[in-house]
Amino acid sequence: MTSTSNAPATSAPTFRRFSFSLRDAGTLIGLIVIMAVFAALVPGFISERNLVNILQQSSINACLALGMTLVIISGGIDLSVGPTAAISAVVTASLLVAGTPIPLAILAGLGVGVLCGLINGGLVAYVGLQPFIVTLGTLSTYRAIALIYTGGNPVLGIPPGFRSLFNGNLFGIPTPVLIVAVVAIAAWILLKKTPIGEYLMAVGGNEEAAYVAGVPIARTKITAYVISGGLAALASLILIGRLGAAEPILGNLWELDAIAAAAIGGASLMGGKGSILGTILGAIILGAMRNGLTLMNVQAFYQLLATGLIILVAMMIDRATRGRE
Amino acid sequence: MTPRLRFESISKSFPGVNALTDVSFDVAPGEIHGLLGENGAGKSTLLRILSGVYRPTSGTVFVDGEAVAFRKPMDARAAGIAMIHQELQQVPHLSVAQNMFLGHSLTHMGGMFVSRREQEARAAEALSMIDKTIDPSAPISSLKVAQRQIVEIGRALLDKAKVIAMDEPTSSLTPSEFDRLAEVIASLSQSGVSIIYVSHKMDEVFRICQRSSIMRDGKLVDIVDLARVSETDVIAKMVGRELMQEEHNSFVTDTVKLEAKKLSSTTRIRDVSFTLHKGEVLGIAGLVGSGRTELLRLLAGVDRLSAGSISIDGKEQSFSNPRDAIAAGIGLVPEERKREGIIPLRPVAINMALASLGSFSSGGMINNFKLRATAQDLLTRVNLRPFQLDRPIRLFSGGNQQKAIIARWLAAKSQILLFDEPTRGIDVGAKSEIYHLIEDLAREGHSIIVVSSELPEVIRLSDRVLVIREGRIAATIERDQLSESAIVAHAIPGANADADDARIARPRVNLQDNP
Repeated sequence: MTSTSNAPATSAPTFRRFSFSLRDAGTLIGLIVIMAVFAALVPGFISERNLVNILQQSSINACLALGMTLVIISGGIDLSVGPTAAISAVVTASLLVAGTPIPLAILAGLGVGVLCGLINGGLVAYVGLQPFIVTLGTLSTYRAIALIYTGGNPVLGIPPGFRSLFNGNLFGIPTPVLIVAVVAIAAWILLKKTPIGEYLMAVGGNEEAAYVAGVPIARTKITAYVISGGLAALASLILIGRLGAAEPILGNLWELDAIAAAAIGGASLMGGKGSILGTILGAIILGAMRNGLTLMNVQAFYQLLATGLIILVAMMIDRATRGRE
Repeated sequence: MTPRLRFESISKSFPGVNALTDVSFDVAPGEIHGLLGENGAGKSTLLRILSGVYRPTSGTVFVDGEAVAFRKPMDARAAGIAMIHQELQQVPHLSVAQNMFLGHSLTHMGGMFVSRREQEARAAEALSMIDKTIDPSAPISSLKVAQRQIVEIGRALLDKAKVIAMDEPTSSLTPSEFDRLAEVIASLSQSGVSIIYVSHKMDEVFRICQRSSIMRDGKLVDIVDLARVSETDVIAKMVGRELMQEEHNSFVTDTVKLEAKKLSSTTRIRDVSFTLHKGEVLGIAGLVGSGRTELLRLLAGVDRLSAGSISIDGKEQSFSNPRDAIAAGIGLVPEERKREGIIPLRPVAINMALASLGSFSSGGMINNFKLRATAQDLLTRVNLRPFQLDRPIRLFSGGNQQKAIIARWLAAKSQILLFDEPTRGIDVGAKSEIYHLIEDLAREGHSIIVVSSELPEVIRLSDRVLVIREGRIAATIERDQLSESAIVAHAIPGANADADDARIARPRVNLQDNP
């Protein structure tokens, strides 16, 4: 206890404010490789216009995947994001069509998403059901509510004011991209700079230990699902802004893309680990793939195949580089 | 005579670490060779090289004078090297014979069917050399741990093993089971099988082995003839310095800090009352399963009381979860660090701050400079090594993880610290650091409860000891009456209980408990 106890005072390591992890670097390299391949194969892929396109096409999935990342970090999963988005979309659209002021309709739509998340979180945290089962149940339940509410028909006639908000441009950048960028920064701050972020990682990393250390387990889990529900609602607003109509069947299989983006970005489905930057890069990887394959006129079947393979390859690279533990 | 096994200048490095440096020694046919060293001394790495899991960076292993280079565990097995791991690698619902033939079943009809009968006959034959009471057709899960170990040895014999390496074979055996294992090992040795025996328990190594290699920091420190050295010498070589026998210091005051009245729970605790003073170290002893851990969990708010009351500084408390207890100034350093203590992937500084993140935050944001400063202070104080605040806690040794958990409660300004098996899975060196830390905390006026299975530890630390038996307090022993026999006498139910099966530490130099 003589030499070692004095050493730290002199060699105090400075705190890294922005850490760019090795894993994120790996995801970035993956993205660059995919971009390079398409740049070589598809003329005009790297054009400014197409790059903005890719970001815009990735924005909905990125939005969902950010919420999904937080849920996955907390050790859970949210399979109900698609139907949550659907309820939120049809409620918002109906309100807009009925002449409700736009800000109020938006708040109501987000509120519906938050409520869906609250139900998921409550069932997980207080009733103690497994997240997979809870959100599998609400996946059907929420979808049914959206269908029953609309009688299965799309809600048409969304006013242009709303559409320009979610499908417009600001300084030449599509608003969905800006919205998701703001959400991503907020999520990054939440995860890296607030106690809630630490609690999410603690609960997902070792729930028992987190409990003994006094972490508010239930509140933390519910927060994750509420954010995920809210972001699913936000994603649905972007979509109906683009389409001008809300279908009760929208958002089918959204959860899978969102999980894929989070996993490619380094989130561990075991919980306790995940990266906001990685998830964004993961969503862009998936978006770039689809964009490139579409430009190459590849059939939808093969696009699906490519998406599946890219997920598997990403996970294998992840496994191989992480080494055995 | 050609040695059965020879390690020649074995080195193994991993990125950034030299796990083994230039290790050389021989094991003769039929020799029982001990391998001693603290955690991280390189014993496991050496065994992994021997069993083909790792390949050495340099150096050669010779079996019967021939150089071997194992590429995978199967190669080592084929060369007659058998490993018996601390955690037995068996499939519980398969039979003894099936487990013994796992991976290379005897088959007929061109590999379509397993010949169960023949496997059982061959298994019985192998086992008959060491233990005739084991039925090869019984499911492995119906056997006691000691018998399951014998089955592993039987499996090694089936493989015609020339060298059997045993890693901490007795960590979960009772003393009488250990005697049986010692006999088996002796008879193996007579039939020419060489044994490498890895253990932390000095007295066992001295009893079983003829010679022992001692490792420290990846190097071979010495090869000793156990008949000619003392346990103290061996420990000194392992640790690299002499361990002092230390005096107990007492800092008890008259102020009552915590009073427990008639505590009961659904988790075994019945009518437990006691007081804890400011500056006191209260020991709790008892058999495994007597309710020691459960009592601490009640006090820490992890489990709920069904009756009784806890008051702190004269104020009655009601804990519905650990948060309440933490707010009242109680911190639990749990027995199972991996399960209940650490968040493995998070930095050590965050693990330290986890229970008091609120106090490091303002406006919903963590104040990193404040957190950092406190981590610097407290982790220096507990002498964290290596002193890297951003390093994930899982990469630290058990002792340093424990120090971080202790620092967690210092950061939370807990006045009452509950230690459950504070030195389980911790090296000798770190152990005495933890003892000093506990003593320092008492000196500063913290009130401390220590639950431990190691009687020397309880006696070293405690001002007073509560002996728990079947969920009740069987006795309170004051410092001047404190002895191992006094504790044992109260801990064991019934007057003449079979002390042999009591899983309470024998008075032995117990260098490391099983993690």
